[in-house]
Amino acid sequence: MRPLTPRRILAIAGMLAAILFVVVVISLRVGAYPISMRDIVVTLYNGAVGNGDASEFSQVIFGLRLPRIALGILVGASLATSGAGFQALLRNPLADPYVLGVSSGAALGAMLSLIIAPHTVGAIQMAAFIGAAATIAAVYFLGRRGGQLDSATLLLAGIVAASFLSAIIIFLLTLVNGPGLRSMTFWLMGDLTAPPPTQNVVGWFGFLYFVFAVAAGAMYTTSSDLNLILTGEQEAGHLGVNVTRVKLVVYVAASLLTGLAVSVSGTIGYVGLLVPHVMRMLFGTDYRLLIPTSAIGGAIVIVLADTLGRTIVAPTELPVGAMTALAGAPVFIYLMRRRIR
Amino acid sequence: MGAQQTAMRPADPAAQTAANKRAVKVVTDETGRRMAIPLNVQRVVSLAPNLTETIYALGLDSKLAGDTTYCDIPPAAKDKPHVGSTQDPSLEAIVALHPDLVLATTSINRAQTADALLKIGVPVYTSDPHTIAGMLSSTATMADLLGASEPGAKLVAELQRRLDTLHAALQDRPMAHVLFVVWEDPLISIGQNTFVADALRWAGAESVILATQNWPQVSMEEVVRLQPEYIVLTSDHLAAETHEPVDHLRDRPTWGDLSAVKAGHVVMASDEFTRPSPGLVDAIESLAQKLHPEAFAPKAENSKMKMENGAHFYAATAAAGSWRGCGTCAR
Repeated sequence: MRPLTPRRILAIAGMLAAILFVVVVISLRVGAYPISMRDIVVTLYNGAVGNGDASEFSQVIFGLRLPRIALGILVGASLATSGAGFQALLRNPLADPYVLGVSSGAALGAMLSLIIAPHTVGAIQMAAFIGAAATIAAVYFLGRRGGQLDSATLLLAGIVAASFLSAIIIFLLTLVNGPGLRSMTFWLMGDLTAPPPTQNVVGWFGFLYFVFAVAAGAMYTTSSDLNLILTGEQEAGHLGVNVTRVKLVVYVAASLLTGLAVSVSGTIGYVGLLVPHVMRMLFGTDYRLLIPTSAIGGAIVIVLADTLGRTIVAPTELPVGAMTALAGAPVFIYLMRRRIR
Repeated sequence: MGAQQTAMRPADPAAQTAANKRAVKVVTDETGRRMAIPLNVQRVVSLAPNLTETIYALGLDSKLAGDTTYCDIPPAAKDKPHVGSTQDPSLEAIVALHPDLVLATTSINRAQTADALLKIGVPVYTSDPHTIAGMLSSTATMADLLGASEPGAKLVAELQRRLDTLHAALQDRPMAHVLFVVWEDPLISIGQNTFVADALRWAGAESVILATQNWPQVSMEEVVRLQPEYIVLTSDHLAAETHEPVDHLRDRPTWGDLSAVKAGHVVMASDEFTRPSPGLVDAIESLAQKLHPEAFAPKAENSKMKMENGAHFYAATAAAGSWRGCGTCAR
């Protein structure tokens, strides 16, 4: 195997980014409203130079397709990065962004907001994020052992928290009657169709991508140490790695990314579990390469799944969460069998 | 609850002259969303079967640019361009139909759909009827928005007249205690705040389930304890079957032991009973005749029921075949 140079990381990331670009172009082009490539370019250009109009092209491109793509990229990148982080932190190939209950906490927060303030714009995202943050803190304190995060204890604490919170959700779903609760089923399946909660769409996405960049960046700073920790925590400690600190950073960053993704899109399955594994099969297990490739790969998968979801049974749309599992599982099995052979 | 919050006022005159081509009025819909709707609405997209049915009942189907894959009453609604399902319509497909106005309802559509469309400047009027009175006033409002106030007022007055006639006929009858079955397995019934519960009251019946949720899941034990006088099924359950509704339950464990089933007190409400649309009044009349035949017996032949609509097929067959004399309605 060739050594992993920054140049090679950039080359592979660039290649994946090119694939993502192609997927984004396809996603911008297809849909129930027919728009030619030329009109898309003209509309995008006019919008970019501040010459936007209220035409239907502009409504469809800037009002519907672009926000969905931007949200898809953010959510896919967050989930896959988070999954890669949790798989290292818990040293468990089955770990995904939801395993420690962050998504259940977010779902409970979202649900409470639908019951208490169903018509308040932005309440669901805010409440989901608060629910996620509260769960992150609770699981952290439950999952410590001897003053530091212990993978097995953390995993058990997370799983118990997840099932406890899910039980409360089911309890509320049967008991409570809120006008917005139908949205909850969609939320639990994952949904990219909710409009941004503010008129300032650019500012909203700027904020989301900023949070992503901080959390993913923090995780990336630990990638060399993660490689060592994966060979064994004691060995890494002997080699000068501050294991406690690295685990804390990865735990907080991965949880934050999950909380970010679920609060804007609900719980989209499979991406956080499968994409890091696929990237390991394709490019190796080095976290310096795995984190950026997972991020871009996750974005590709979500945008592609959402594009398929809104075209294959058009005009009805399939929830993106159903599409990721439907298309993701066969691809994963193919790659896994090919590697075994 | 079902109170109308609709307030309409013309947009200020300056704005009207500025855009005299596209005069609008600012409207607050039944969920409190404010929007500008063109005064002259020519193209409407309906996002729910009951709204589609209302548009046809108002004779405005030429303005209906599109509806959902679930819109099947009247049959002609199936030939309109579809924008997807009620829960997951394609927003792009809606925009592609260039609607002046989109109609939605809280009972089946998602809030996100309306929010997303309003965000890109497509007006969406969402109705939220919880009672028959609410349904009638929503119908009148929709007629107004579509520039058909007069046919709307006429339709609503006619429906109200039929309901009043029904009320007069049932005045002296005791309420029948019924279990309204929305779904059998698991058993889902209706809550007291739904328009279905209100429709039952108009039909001279009372739901035995005192839940505050809209669609409560009910245990069979509770049904045994409550021993409803009648069990009301919707024809969704038996659409393909031709035999009497009671046969459907007689051989089923627990159900067969209920006194209502033993007495043959299983009746069928048409599909429209669960849709807040003008056809609901037909369904109420038809159910009332099954639950209180004595109240209608002397003048059965000049019944005002309208049977031209295919939807009443099940109601009609059930009424013709399954009725047994009822001496125990009054408890």
